[in-house]
Amino acid sequence: MNDITLANLLSPVQPTWCPGCGNFSILTALKQALVELNLKMDEVVIVFGIGCSGNTADFIKCYGFHALHGRGLANAVGIKLANHRQKVIMIGGDGDLYGEGLNHLVAACRGNHDITTLVFNNHRYSLTTGQTSPTSAKGTVAKSTPQGLIEDPIGALSIAISNGAGFVARAYAGKLKQMVELIKAGIQYDGFSLIDVQQPCPTFNKEQDYAWYQQNVFDLPAEYDPSNQGQALVELLDKNKLSLGVLYRNDQRLAYHQEVATLREKTLIEQFPQTVDLNKAIKEFV
Amino acid sequence: MSELEQLNWKISAKAGEGVMSSAKLFAKACKRQGLAVFNYYEYPSLIKGGLQSGQVYTALRGATCQQRKLDLLIVFHEKFINEHLAELDEQSLVIVNANNFDSSKYPDLKSQVLAINLTKIARDQGANPLAANIAALGLSARIFAMDLQVMGRVVVEEFAKNKEAASKNLLVLKAAFEFTDDLIKQGKLVDRGNLVNTGVDEQLLVTGSEAIGLGVLAAGLQFYSAYPMTPATGLLHFLAAEQDNYPIVVKHAEDEIAAINHALGASFAGVRAMTGSSGGGFALMVESLSFAGVAEIPLVVLEAVRQGPATGLPTWTSQGDLNFVLGAGHGDFLRVILTPGSVEEHFVLAKLAVELAEKYQLPVLIMSDKYILESHQTMPKMILSQQNQRFAMLNDGRLGESGLGEGEFLRYKLSADGVSPRSIPGQGNALQLTNSYEHDQYGFATEDAVETKQAVDKRAAKLSALQQELPKPLYLGSKNPKQIFISFGSTINVLQEVLLDPLASQIALIHLPCVYPFPTQEFEVLLAGKNAELFVVEGDATGQLAGLIKRETKLRDLRMILRYDGRPFYSEDLLEFLQNGQLNKQYTLL
Repeated sequence: MNDITLANLLSPVQPTWCPGCGNFSILTALKQALVELNLKMDEVVIVFGIGCSGNTADFIKCYGFHALHGRGLANAVGIKLANHRQKVIMIGGDGDLYGEGLNHLVAACRGNHDITTLVFNNHRYSLTTGQTSPTSAKGTVAKSTPQGLIEDPIGALSIAISNGAGFVARAYAGKLKQMVELIKAGIQYDGFSLIDVQQPCPTFNKEQDYAWYQQNVFDLPAEYDPSNQGQALVELLDKNKLSLGVLYRNDQRLAYHQEVATLREKTLIEQFPQTVDLNKAIKEFV
Repeated sequence: MSELEQLNWKISAKAGEGVMSSAKLFAKACKRQGLAVFNYYEYPSLIKGGLQSGQVYTALRGATCQQRKLDLLIVFHEKFINEHLAELDEQSLVIVNANNFDSSKYPDLKSQVLAINLTKIARDQGANPLAANIAALGLSARIFAMDLQVMGRVVVEEFAKNKEAASKNLLVLKAAFEFTDDLIKQGKLVDRGNLVNTGVDEQLLVTGSEAIGLGVLAAGLQFYSAYPMTPATGLLHFLAAEQDNYPIVVKHAEDEIAAINHALGASFAGVRAMTGSSGGGFALMVESLSFAGVAEIPLVVLEAVRQGPATGLPTWTSQGDLNFVLGAGHGDFLRVILTPGSVEEHFVLAKLAVELAEKYQLPVLIMSDKYILESHQTMPKMILSQQNQRFAMLNDGRLGESGLGEGEFLRYKLSADGVSPRSIPGQGNALQLTNSYEHDQYGFATEDAVETKQAVDKRAAKLSALQQELPKPLYLGSKNPKQIFISFGSTINVLQEVLLDPLASQIALIHLPCVYPFPTQEFEVLLAGKNAELFVVEGDATGQLAGLIKRETKLRDLRMILRYDGRPFYSEDLLEFLQNGQLNKQYTLL
């Protein structure tokens, strides 16, 4: 089995992202994290959503699953249950995971499925040319909301924390080293980890450029206790406050597959029944 | 006493009064006496109140569907008699769970009616008054001179988890039997004959849902995810309960879109996976069905049809989703649609569905309906030790090294038969990208015109080998018929009963256990040289099967017998049609 190295992860397909797109550094951080975790190439599955972030599917060599828009997390749950030895990673955008697929995000949190979810959060639907997303600020003027967005932005991380996600963090595409550490911690965490990565979209989000982020993101203070769920929710009440780091971490809760009796000793794929004895199943029908 | 070779029994009460279990136990006792059984249930979409009924038709010669004219009707509430007047005649016996009965209130009722307080019989034995449903069984056992020992065992087995309830129910059963015996001795009840006991009990009594469950377990299905929706819920419950006995994970998903996508994920990761719903839930899954098509992910889907559109009649039957199932999904992709008839065929085709999905890496739909999915029918016991092998997988799906060199594996490699072996996560040197976008041979997205056409053609090329493995149309009846009744799915159960009647000596039946890919050649061969009037008998309003036949064959001259009121076909109605050309007003003849 091949080790994960930058060379092995290299796809023959060149990224199609715009110059200056935050996706480049997020992909770099992901690759770096995978290398530093000393995993094998065949131990990782990455599920991709639809959008600029989902297009990462073509730009990294791995066992990949390029899903439908919004549905990737539901696929990831099935993949993990079928073979829980695999590290399962979900990559999607704010539209994919917080909009179209929000129900699946909440369900994945409630189940604490052992999936690491990276949300490439650029506050826009960029692949469809820049409409507002669930994380756009109220009042944002874009092509689908020319009179200004009426809705409030979604409190996605609060939703995750209050619905059982065991590991919730925020990163910023401009801080590579921190991203690498957060992604590694998320992958190593036994349970659902959500890493919201704030990123500029230089083409369709002129308001939130690198300069804006430099002014608006800051690290959580050293004394911040991520095991305190209430404190984490308070921290997230102000949606304009972009604190970076591990916002919440619960080391008490088991991951979903750890509670499934069938998966206690072996993965499901290891239990393929070449011979099936139907005696038990027909007991009530004789 | 005369031997009774067939009997039609019905119990009718409010929801929550134990009708379903009473009918199931009566049906099982008949099966144990070696008879064929069909047990049909009707119930409203609510939990308490409303009329529920269970009706058991049992016959030595075979019983494939429900029958209308009742030998015995047991009603828990007198007023329910009005709901069943059309099922009663001079020969019928009606038992009302009451102290007395005033026949003058029912001038149209020609049957003998007897008031017996079944609830009191239960209470007198110190049992829960709800055990009146067991008293009904004791009464029935005596009326038809059934084997009380057999009935007693059936009741005790049903309450195996609660010993006290089991022994109380047994007391109730015996008390009701003796009470009825006294009535017969007093001349208040007429001898109804001895229900035949062949002494050969080798059949199983299962619903269509349970038969599918057995079939997919036999096929090594390891993952089922669904969101509850009648009448697909039976399969979810069956498989969920079997998690203790078989290596399967059952996931009640947050919605139907998640359900199908869980199954797609599990299938991609290498386990045999399935989802199921009724029309409304399946509608939500349709985008993902198309994903299974383009990405070549093996998937089995149960579409359990109920009367629609929209929420429709949740607990009543229909075949009206045929066009929807045929066309579900955007873009062109190959699918299989199996439409099993009998419960036994549900078992056989469910196993086949799982195998075909893996072998040809495509979605296989099992379309069935409330009528057969929730009815009990006897079927022969299947081979109990079922063997399975993997299909079209790299290294037979075993994890570990693939034996390939770096970069040698192409998930979507072009091949003449359209099938390319798939790797699964965990196999060394066999990375691949399963993609909802059109893709190249590795799996990377492509918009290239040549690659797109090649990929579409590759997937379509599976058709010719696939067709050889599909179940063929079934022809029954006269070789030189005056009329041929064509049907798909559950309708064959009713038509087979029609065929048993002398009136049907000049008809033939064609049953389609697979409607897509349509068996054009086999179908045309069956009809070649036949100078018969063709009737398509289907449970929808617009003749969807007739339309499909016109699209796929040279046939144009088709008449249609349609029913779309949520109720199943009745053999009596079709026999009346054979006799005098008339169908009752709940049918449409086109």
